[in-house]
Amino acid sequence: MTDRVRLSIDGVEHEVAQGELLIKAAQDTGTYIPRFCWHERMKPVGMCRMCLVQIETPRGPAMITACTTNVADGMVVDTTSEAVKRSQEAILEFLLANHPLDCPVCDKGGECPLQDQALAYGPGESRFVEIKRTYVKPIPISDLVLLDRERCILCARCTRFSEEISGDPLIEFMERGNLTEINTFPDHPFSSYFSGNTVQICPVGALTAKPYRFRARPWDLERVESSSLFDTAHPRVEVHASQNQVLRILGVDHPNLSHGWLSDKARFGFEYLGSADRLSTPLVRGGGRLVEATWPEALEIAANRLQLIKDEDGGGALGVIGGAQGNNEDAYALAKFTRVALGTNNLDCRLDDTLSSHFLAATVDRALIDDLDTSGTVIVWGPDLKEEHPTLYLRVRRAAQELGATLIVVHPRATGLDDRAVVKLGYRPGGGFALLDEIAEGAHSDVSHALAAAKVTALVGLASLADDPRLPESVAALVRQKAPGARILPLSSRANTYGALDMGVAPDLLPGRVAVGAIGCANLAESWGDIPSRPGRDTRAILEGLVSGDVRGLLLVGADPLRDCPDRTLAGEALEAAEYLVSIDAFVNDSNREADVILPVAVFTEKEGTVTNLEGRVQRVSRLRPAPGQARPDWAILEDLAALMGVGLGLGSAETIAKEIADVAPVYAGVTWDLLDWEERDGVVVPMTGDQPLNHIPVSLEGNRAPRAALTLHSARVMYDDGVRLRHSPSLSRLAPGAVAHLSPVDAPKVGAREGATLRLVTKKGEGEFRAVIDPGTPAGVVYVPLNQPGAPSLGADAVVRVTVVT
Amino acid sequence: MSVWSEPTRQRATEIIGRYPKRRSAVMPLLYLAMAEEGRLSEEGMREVAEWCGITPAQVQAVASFYTMYKTEPVGRYLVSCCTSISCMLLGADEVLGAIEDQAGVPDGETDKEGHLSVEHVECLGACGGAVAVQVNYELIEGVTPDRARALVDWLRNARPDVVNGDEMQELFGTRRSFEWAIHEEDGAVGPYPAFQPLGTVGR
Amino acid sequence: MTTLVVTKRMAEHPADSHTITRYQATGGYQQAKRALGMTRDELVEEVKASGLLGRGGAAFSAGLKWSFLAPERPSYLVVNADESEPGTFKDRQLLERDPHQLIEGLIITAIANEAHHAFIYVRGEYSKPARRVQKAVDEAYAAGFLGTGIFGSDFDLDVVVHLGAGAYICGEETALINSLEGLRGEPRLKPPYFPAAKGLYMKPTIVNNVETLSNLPHILALGSAGYTALSSSADTGTFMMSLSGHVRKPGNYEVPHGITWRELIFDIGGGMRRDRALKTWIPGGASAPWFVPEKHLDLEITKDATAEAGSMLGSGAVIVMDEDTCVVRAAERIVRFFAHESCGQCTPCREGTSWLEMILRRIDEGRGRAVDLDLMLDLGDGISIGLEWPPRMTTICPLGPSAVSPILALRDYFRSEVSRHLEAGGCPFPGGHIAGEEEEEEE
Repeated sequence: MTDRVRLSIDGVEHEVAQGELLIKAAQDTGTYIPRFCWHERMKPVGMCRMCLVQIETPRGPAMITACTTNVADGMVVDTTSEAVKRSQEAILEFLLANHPLDCPVCDKGGECPLQDQALAYGPGESRFVEIKRTYVKPIPISDLVLLDRERCILCARCTRFSEEISGDPLIEFMERGNLTEINTFPDHPFSSYFSGNTVQICPVGALTAKPYRFRARPWDLERVESSSLFDTAHPRVEVHASQNQVLRILGVDHPNLSHGWLSDKARFGFEYLGSADRLSTPLVRGGGRLVEATWPEALEIAANRLQLIKDEDGGGALGVIGGAQGNNEDAYALAKFTRVALGTNNLDCRLDDTLSSHFLAATVDRALIDDLDTSGTVIVWGPDLKEEHPTLYLRVRRAAQELGATLIVVHPRATGLDDRAVVKLGYRPGGGFALLDEIAEGAHSDVSHALAAAKVTALVGLASLADDPRLPESVAALVRQKAPGARILPLSSRANTYGALDMGVAPDLLPGRVAVGAIGCANLAESWGDIPSRPGRDTRAILEGLVSGDVRGLLLVGADPLRDCPDRTLAGEALEAAEYLVSIDAFVNDSNREADVILPVAVFTEKEGTVTNLEGRVQRVSRLRPAPGQARPDWAILEDLAALMGVGLGLGSAETIAKEIADVAPVYAGVTWDLLDWEERDGVVVPMTGDQPLNHIPVSLEGNRAPRAALTLHSARVMYDDGVRLRHSPSLSRLAPGAVAHLSPVDAPKVGAREGATLRLVTKKGEGEFRAVIDPGTPAGVVYVPLNQPGAPSLGADAVVRVTVVT
Repeated sequence: MSVWSEPTRQRATEIIGRYPKRRSAVMPLLYLAMAEEGRLSEEGMREVAEWCGITPAQVQAVASFYTMYKTEPVGRYLVSCCTSISCMLLGADEVLGAIEDQAGVPDGETDKEGHLSVEHVECLGACGGAVAVQVNYELIEGVTPDRARALVDWLRNARPDVVNGDEMQELFGTRRSFEWAIHEEDGAVGPYPAFQPLGTVGR
Repeated sequence: MTTLVVTKRMAEHPADSHTITRYQATGGYQQAKRALGMTRDELVEEVKASGLLGRGGAAFSAGLKWSFLAPERPSYLVVNADESEPGTFKDRQLLERDPHQLIEGLIITAIANEAHHAFIYVRGEYSKPARRVQKAVDEAYAAGFLGTGIFGSDFDLDVVVHLGAGAYICGEETALINSLEGLRGEPRLKPPYFPAAKGLYMKPTIVNNVETLSNLPHILALGSAGYTALSSSADTGTFMMSLSGHVRKPGNYEVPHGITWRELIFDIGGGMRRDRALKTWIPGGASAPWFVPEKHLDLEITKDATAEAGSMLGSGAVIVMDEDTCVVRAAERIVRFFAHESCGQCTPCREGTSWLEMILRRIDEGRGRAVDLDLMLDLGDGISIGLEWPPRMTTICPLGPSAVSPILALRDYFRSEVSRHLEAGGCPFPGGHIAGEEEEEEE
């Protein structure tokens, strides 16, 4: 075989893949070569010199770094020769010469590669009698990360990560020689969305994370592997807890997902779990206030009222919003509860802010994340991936930077991927169809050229609140037309949305990507009985129904429409008009504040289950700690509620639900916990096959034109917002930009705005005050406002905005 | 946003135009930033970052790697005394000591008036004319402790607008590495190298 | 006895050897014009046949280096004028006194390597040489020898004079390329970043030293046979040596290969100052292991003879020390240099060189310990496994191992002098020499 080579490592023959680095080949065949700077997911730098090994050459033995040398046929490697050992001892003595050896108070103590390798390969004592290098002890280099330069061994892992992987080169080597240090530019912090990764890969305790600092010793931690729900790619994580408190989350290198990297939101967004504000007992309205109640009391009240409305006006007078925050088992329970107990299809896990359910759930040519690695062209027309899809951001970046993909980015303003884009197109918010027409007519030859590549992957979603929700489907249609065989990845960014849709938490979907209709309902009849066969109301229609009085009762499941729906006015009016409101949630939020009953729910790390990510990959989430007080999983609450309404859902446990899903949801056949636990620990991608029950191939649609206005409003989600989980995670909540409005340097003087000025923004749907940011990344004619910010008024989805200066 | 004067901006544009990639212009632009302010300020590095399309941290990573980009305030005359091996063999430590004494400025520091800075440096490539001293990177060869003292006094009193190597060699130098032969009018106007494309040359 | 080649013009026309007028009046730019009519292969073969070795220190065949140029285009040419090795000042003379000779060599090299963009990287402290070269470049542009369609041909060539900013390591060709790209001047890994394949902007790049290029017009003029005939030894052509330290007549000397160290120091260099005895000398720049009169004075100055004796000719810098020299302080000064110039990438170089410097300073200041010499040798072994020369290269570049050379000298020749420091509780030697004072006395 030409792609394999034979080599000998310490006298043992191995066959390994050609082109492999020696350090990796040795590791895979059982020989660990010590190292500090080498990291499997980054380019080698050969700096620490710890991996020096001896090889035979025609001119005698030579010392080479295993991390920079490719294997070669016939290579003879000695990793334990006398010279190798001498060299390893020397490197460790050099590294420890200036190391402070403050291990007892170092977070890394106990899991420190320097400690471990000093023990295994070090000389045992230091002969350094000179004065050690000292620096000011830890300096904050961002809101989340501290740097202790004395501990640093200058391995360049953090600098390489920020430059090569995340594209935020804000942390760099400064000075040179033995004065070399890692640092940031003064007043220019390491404000990367991915900064926490550097803490995880730091081989010493030089970089530490504020949320974990001095909180625990590694040997005291309980650990479990799970999937993060802060990113719809669901990167694999390891959750660490002590005394039932989650203390940190680490990334796990999953070859198909994030490669072990996490956004800071996924890494540090755990503080809400232990928040004192978590609901631990049911609350019922009494005397105009929410008061604590027992489960039987609360459930009975809720069940009676829901039943009453159903009895009077039928299931159509009830609506359910939410379900994207829980596991698939919870979502399935909700889908079944709504149809079977409430008798309606008025159910939606989307909050009127994303794509059509069929497009999201059943795009027949849906792309896998791994398709990016082999794509000739990647087109991203949708949200700024860096803000909303951190895993995809890193993977697209890698495809464009390292793997040669031609990247096209289409977005109304600057995005995190622009520096890697070969073509970047912008458009006025709301005016995407005009640009689409231009491309269709061949006006952008660079795009047409790129779409002629061998393999095209298109990531499509809503770039802006002002975008027509049908625009992404039309983009997909155009891509297919120009690039037959292209793969499409429709984007939505809320927790387990894809899992919830697959479980049927949508007005027009049943479990397993089956359309609501006579056939689908008939097939489910055996386990679900008789259910309504006409599609129900989506979120917007439910809200409108509440306002008009056609819908009387509302069940919110981990949903906060007042915060998350683009049309907050409508949401507000709907909640006001709701005759009866039941909420299943972990917190009191803006929307359930006036609820009649709130039932406390168990969340991430508190329950077992499965989730499905944006490519259809089903993975396990795990329980590590009990839920606070009397909080329970959604499915258990729903089962009891149904029982009190006289309906047996027959759920039993999360695991039996999983079995039922595998039984009744066609594309989930065979996807059991056993399989995911033991055979497919990296998860299973639920197949997108031609014979799945629902094939969705959207067609090109005619959409709205850009409004004619001097300034158009571009509202988009950003990494840190005022969502309920972040609001209760103090380390992250302060990172939200707040009520700001970005103006281009061209428009700012026109409206008379200076940096930091107070602006008044007025749209048809809302108005309020914002702080001005003069931003070269925002084009002329566009006002950019990050969505759902603390203290920020809602402006709705309308694209026309008027801006005046207050001060 | 730019803190640079119009001529400097123009020169920056020209310099960037000479390189296939704009990041290559970091080094000349750092000199330009120094010429603008007499030293390399944080503002200057931010400015260079913008011109070159990189982050300020990346600029500082480069600037701090090299010895000639001075982020601390530097005097109008930067006196650099070579103390590497060949000059050391011929009394460089004594010459440095004489400069420090006469200037009243310790190695690595600047006087209160912002007039003189004194530093020891590694090899200046004038080993045949040891001991080598530079003022604003204009060379004097064959400097003795006495001549070094005289040089300091001269810089204090004469305060030349343009520091000219030939003139200083005549006044304060002795043996040279090789015949300089040609008389040059140009000289340095500040504590950064005098070089035409950077516009940092006097006369 | 000496045929001058690269320093001939400046010797014969001291007043204006740097001008384009003088350069053309003495046959200049004829070879560049001729080269335009030659193919890449012809030029590469001619230079290979001339036996020209790189004069930057590595002494690698220039023609062979060119032949490795990968086929991808564009290719770039970089002139290494970052002369910074202590003891070396020859390129400065060539830059100041005969810049057109360099430019003609550059043009020939660009033609041979199909490069249309060349950079002359001059160390930052060489502001005057840089000005001289820039003026010459401007003259050549004005004359149509550089720019669009040089010499009326369809060959374009642009030249940028780039000023360094104080970093010896940028003389290492991959560090120089990083520096030119606007990065820190850190050497790159080789493999995979051999400049001829992945150099400037990851394109094929030729990096040649000033003296190397200055030889090219002469190689074309004399023909490779005529050029090789200049030398009777295996090393062809002439060789510039920079003589410094305790000799009467320090300076740059263009010498034929094959003279002995005795001839260089005592004839050409005028012998030892103040008639002191010769104690030791460094034969090829601060990196090179030292020589002593007892063993090496009558060796021939050739690449191979020097290598056989355990050292190298390097950049041709000879630093001579007399009997009154404190070798501990001399070693400290050289080690300090490398510690100061270490880029900081490789652990052993970054930590080891400054550790060595601290120990040497302690010994010099009277705080030495009996174990220190052995400790230094052990640390040296950590930086350069086996303490061999040429080093076994356990670091990315040879800077770290270079710092070990003075320690080897202490081990091999001056153990007792280290002991005397310990016994005396400080340096047993009187203060240093004050060059100028004595000069003035002699005058």
